Amino acid sequence: MSSIWSDRPFLAVLAAVLAVALSLVTSIAVPFGLSAYLANAIGQLAAFAVLALSLDLIWGYLGILSLGHGLFFGIGGYVVAMYLLKHSFEVTGKVPDFMQFMGWTAFPFYWAGFGYFVYAALVAVAVTLLISGVFGYVSFRSRVGGVYFAIITQALVYVAMLLMFRNDTGFGGNNGMTGFAVIFGWPIGSRGVVISIAAISVVVLALTMLGCRLLLQSRFGMLMIAARDDEVRLRTLGYDTLLLKLAVWCLSALIAALAGMLYVPQVGIINPRLLAPDLSLEIAVWVAIGGRGHLIGAVIGAVLVNAIKFWLSAAAPELWPFILSGLIVLVVFVFPNGLVDLAGFRLHRPLISRLSSEPAELNR
Amino acid sequence: MIRSLALVLWVLVVAWCSTAHAMERADLIGKVCGDAAAMGEAGRAMIDIAAEGSPDDRAWAALIPRSVMDRKLSCDATGAVIASADGSVDALTRAARSAADGSRSPLLSLKNRAMFETADAALALRSSPDPARRAAALRTLERQASNLPEQLFEAAGRDESNPGLKAQISAVAQGAALNSPDMDKRIAAIGRVASSPDRRALALVGPLTNDPAYGANTDFRRAVDAASAAIRRGITIGDMLATLYNGLSFASILFMAAIGLAVIFGLMGVINLAQGEFIMLGGYITWLVQEALRLIAPGLLQWYLIIAIPAVFLVTAAIGIVLEAILLRHLYRRPLMSLLATWAVSLFLINLVRVTFGTQNLQFVTPFYVTGGVPVIGDFIFTWNRMFAIAFAVVTLGLTWGLMRLTPLGLNIRAVTQNRTMAGCIGIAVRRVDMLAFGLGSGLAGLAGLALAPIYSVNPQMGQNFVIDSFMVVVLGGVGTIAGTIVAALGIGQINVLIEPLWGAVAAKVIVLLMIIGFLQWRPEGLFAIKGRRK
Repeated sequence: MSSIWSDRPFLAVLAAVLAVALSLVTSIAVPFGLSAYLANAIGQLAAFAVLALSLDLIWGYLGILSLGHGLFFGIGGYVVAMYLLKHSFEVTGKVPDFMQFMGWTAFPFYWAGFGYFVYAALVAVAVTLLISGVFGYVSFRSRVGGVYFAIITQALVYVAMLLMFRNDTGFGGNNGMTGFAVIFGWPIGSRGVVISIAAISVVVLALTMLGCRLLLQSRFGMLMIAARDDEVRLRTLGYDTLLLKLAVWCLSALIAALAGMLYVPQVGIINPRLLAPDLSLEIAVWVAIGGRGHLIGAVIGAVLVNAIKFWLSAAAPELWPFILSGLIVLVVFVFPNGLVDLAGFRLHRPLISRLSSEPAELNR
Repeated sequence: MIRSLALVLWVLVVAWCSTAHAMERADLIGKVCGDAAAMGEAGRAMIDIAAEGSPDDRAWAALIPRSVMDRKLSCDATGAVIASADGSVDALTRAARSAADGSRSPLLSLKNRAMFETADAALALRSSPDPARRAAALRTLERQASNLPEQLFEAAGRDESNPGLKAQISAVAQGAALNSPDMDKRIAAIGRVASSPDRRALALVGPLTNDPAYGANTDFRRAVDAASAAIRRGITIGDMLATLYNGLSFASILFMAAIGLAVIFGLMGVINLAQGEFIMLGGYITWLVQEALRLIAPGLLQWYLIIAIPAVFLVTAAIGIVLEAILLRHLYRRPLMSLLATWAVSLFLINLVRVTFGTQNLQFVTPFYVTGGVPVIGDFIFTWNRMFAIAFAVVTLGLTWGLMRLTPLGLNIRAVTQNRTMAGCIGIAVRRVDMLAFGLGSGLAGLAGLALAPIYSVNPQMGQNFVIDSFMVVVLGGVGTIAGTIVAALGIGQINVLIEPLWGAVAAKVIVLLMIIGFLQWRPEGLFAIKGRRK
């Protein structure tokens, strides 16, 4: 991949993201500027964009479609919700709703330590790495790929959803967790805190974009693209594609968990519906609509689709599924490479797709 | 001479009998009009009549207890008179007459009132023409069954014409016999109860271990122990059979949903995420056929499940063909994008149906051929609605197998599945085969929806509940083989229902998923992979 300085579209999007971050940061200090509502919406969009980046990394650059990325998003979300609840309980003394429903007076033992954010973050990393590592290892080792991999990940997230719907697991059951009051000792609903979290999300988005871009132009990134285009050849040349795929898969899972950790404090609730297979599929749809195999495509797709969704779910909720399916069909017919086609961006197309006009997926 | 003597004797016997009847009846009326003790005897006598009396006697006595309780019977010097809406009649002869002056209505004591209630119920059970009244009477008698003469229930069970009520009567009779004071009868009753082992029988026999006789009488204890062991064994077998049966019906639905998926996947490498929605559409088309029959030919309404078969198959197959022709065709080289495209179709179909029909469950007529079932053993009932799904799946399997093995289309589908390029080279119209196969797969999913209609709720979301399980069947079974799909559907269906009662539905899904991931370590291409070059 070419050097970052010659990649003008990427720099333009990155600059736009940084500009949004800057305007958010200045709004914290001054009483005018962006409203808390708008900042919150921007922050959620940024979290979704990070999530889309995580999927684009594995799907767009390694050719492995995961329909279960909601699982890692959910792990991050659940862990940060546990931190927020425990922390709020320690500050305000209010017993969380789900414990009242279950008639519990004390937190289950595995909630110990969740009052500390650093511990919670470490748990999120550990759990994400454990699940993605074990699942990735057994799948890639037996060379499960393509559609097989996609539907097994979908079953994985489905099972996780069923598990979380149970009320006796100590993670809120079907009502989920809500009623967060305090974050890092600050009241979570105040304008300054809301805008701060949004600003952090946007900054994280910019850093993730930059990090992924640098990774992709490194030697490792070249290997990823090589594995996507012809894994068998790469393996024949003596590279260990199992390790490569596993590393990218785990990294992608970690980024998704990070997105979940940004998302949940901003919406103020988490419940098992976040783990519904539909949401995980939707992530793939954002990436496909924006342009898979382009980092900016993932960001643009996630922001655009979710902005329309925010707007429509207030204006005409019945219409949204039709528009979403229409968008997908539009992408299928008119912009096979996503909306980045629209701008005529010509990025790093692999040789094989230049020959065949449509990007091929050899490891189906 | 001898003949005339016999005739005289006969006349005498008949006269004696009828006078005896008359005397009994008069005696009864006298007791009804007597003091509290006499009235109690009258109550018992009427219960005996209900148990052993002739139909005449029962019909005669049936009116009395209710009249006494309602104070409609008044006693005077010559007997008693029963007042009713049609005028008053003599209690003994039932000839019309009115009560003499100074008549009084006998008042029941609390104890006698209960006795008369029982007598009324006993007589109603034996002689009322109305099944609802007989059922109500049985409920009244049930509470004190062990204090009643057992001939009452025997005779009532023998004469009963309503099969449901007949079973209830024999159940009450068994319960009564179990608590009979006569030990031989108790032991015999235990044996009879154990001959139909189910949870109800266990509930009857189980408490007998706390009976004083259980400690005192060894024969009794042995009979109780043997009976409860036999019943438990029966229940276990019944539960196992029921689990297998439920698993089989679940597996047949899975099979019908998955066989289409497997054919399409093998052929085009496309997983159709809208497969669940074709199941849903099948259910809705079945409903539309039912409603159309209701309007056009109400006489055929019962047969809508059969009449809908061609309609469901053709319509869902046509929708599938249209879908393939306008959408999936363009995604042939991008199977992962086709996942998203079929998901868009699924989203569109769910919401289209939701907007058109609403989200509520559809109401289906239950035809007589899928109603009820045959009780086999324990609590296992061989229900016809599940049998319908199983039989339907078997027929579908047979036809699909025939289609794949014996027709030119099947030959082409198998050829394209094995080697698309080579099949194209030798002149098979590959695109046409794709289209027809997609139509076939969609039509089979639609038929799964039809088979589900009598056993499952049909609503816009219903497809979602099957789709992930049927994907697992395809992953496990391998592509393009009917045998693999059958084995995988049976396996997943059975494992689901086997684990569910032990650890719950969630654990069943988790274990099935883990088993599939583990299995793929061993055979990444599925159970019955087609031998060939690895792609």
